Amino acid sequence: MISVIILIVLIQSWPAVVSAETDNPEDVVYYTESGHAEFTSRVPLHTFTGESRNLVGMIDLQKNVIDFYLDLSTLETGISRRDRDMFRTLDVDEFPFAEFSGTLDSGFDYQSPEKQSVVTRGEFKIHGVTQDVSIEGTLQMQGENLYLEAEWTLMLEDYDIEPPGILFYRVNDEQELRIEVTLSPHSRDILSTGN
Amino acid sequence: MMTKNLIPIIAAILLLMLLLPDISGAQLPRERVTPDRPVEYTFWASKNIGISTVHQLPARNLNTTVLHTFGLVHGGEHYRGIDRFFGLDDGANTRIGLEYGITDRLSAGIGRMTFNNIVDVSGKYHVMRQTRTDSRPLDLAVKMSIGINTMPGLGLDFDERLSYFVSLMIARKFDHFSLQLTPMVTHFNHTVGDNEDQLFGLGILAKRELSDRFALSAEYLPVIGDRNTGTNDAMAVALNIDTGGHVFQVFLTSSQWHNEQFIMANNRDRFWRGDFRFGFNIHRSFRL
Repeated sequence: MISVIILIVLIQSWPAVVSAETDNPEDVVYYTESGHAEFTSRVPLHTFTGESRNLVGMIDLQKNVIDFYLDLSTLETGISRRDRDMFRTLDVDEFPFAEFSGTLDSGFDYQSPEKQSVVTRGEFKIHGVTQDVSIEGTLQMQGENLYLEAEWTLMLEDYDIEPPGILFYRVNDEQELRIEVTLSPHSRDILSTGN
Repeated sequence: MMTKNLIPIIAAILLLMLLLPDISGAQLPRERVTPDRPVEYTFWASKNIGISTVHQLPARNLNTTVLHTFGLVHGGEHYRGIDRFFGLDDGANTRIGLEYGITDRLSAGIGRMTFNNIVDVSGKYHVMRQTRTDSRPLDLAVKMSIGINTMPGLGLDFDERLSYFVSLMIARKFDHFSLQLTPMVTHFNHTVGDNEDQLFGLGILAKRELSDRFALSAEYLPVIGDRNTGTNDAMAVALNIDTGGHVFQVFLTSSQWHNEQFIMANNRDRFWRGDFRFGFNIHRSFRL
């Protein structure tokens, strides 16, 4: 039975052995600190967008891990007073990040240069509330980089976020989120250092 | 016997480790982009009532302001308050102003008020911003302004129409309470009678937030040293309403003038003697 255990341990370590000997995109993790994230909000008679260029993310194709987070205080809507209201609404001091951690739920052929539809499943956390989500997007190898686009809808009430406003003039509960990211290959050390 | 029973369990655990995605230690360390953020909204607008504040306009933001002050609420020496509808019939001194954020620290502005057709051109530079960790405990900003009297028929050369103003704004926010001290100096190239050509003052500004939407504010502007004959230190109290897009300031003030140098030079009314007038300011910012 001990030999069975040894065999299992060897099998478990196999991907690492293979990746050390081959030269393919699965040997590295794809990482960025400057991804684009934006949301679109609606209030009566008006739509506005907030955006940030500080989306941090990592995709590990070998281990099938996706991890993204955004410092919410980097979001800008173009009007500083509205930004302040947004930060208060999101309780940014207490909950500074929006986070997604999950896995790629569909296959991805890194040898193809085509844009490929993918589905990720995982946990999205904002305002201290975590929800299971499934997000559709596209992945594409662009040279040595990995390009990701995704869009989904977030309901504020699902995350205990009170839409800001006065009387009948309130932000819609439904928020459209979009990210656009080019991730470049990095050593796995990025997971411990973050840069 | 015990060891023999454990072996299938260990094997099962290892098998699970093999089959499940390895996400252990796979999460990026979470780091704030700017861990020590500046304190925001020490004051809600670039004017507390009549005195400028450390409120900073972000780069590429345009702030529009409309300031109004009316006649005395009590009607003055010759009327009752109701006769002049508590000052609203006396006409307003209106100042329309624009201020643009050139960078996150530097802004430039221009305005024009009814009294003396004064056009003012100004610049404000934020030297230091108070931070949340108190690594920088204060907001410091410098404002410089030139006022131009454009009233026709005065027989003045252009340089005689000019006045200069410099102030240092020192502010701190304590939770929901904000305080600002503003030492200031102004110089008038041309004065009438025995008026001083140079005046010093100390603006004292305070704001207390009642909620995210409402705040009370007050300001007092004593002239330090020599002053123009018959003038008095100005004072005002206001209710601030922040709608998210606009900031409205509804106030009672002793001075009908706008801009610090003209308040110091011209205010003759005494707030505590009941010499106050109704006024309101409207502020709105846009991103260009």
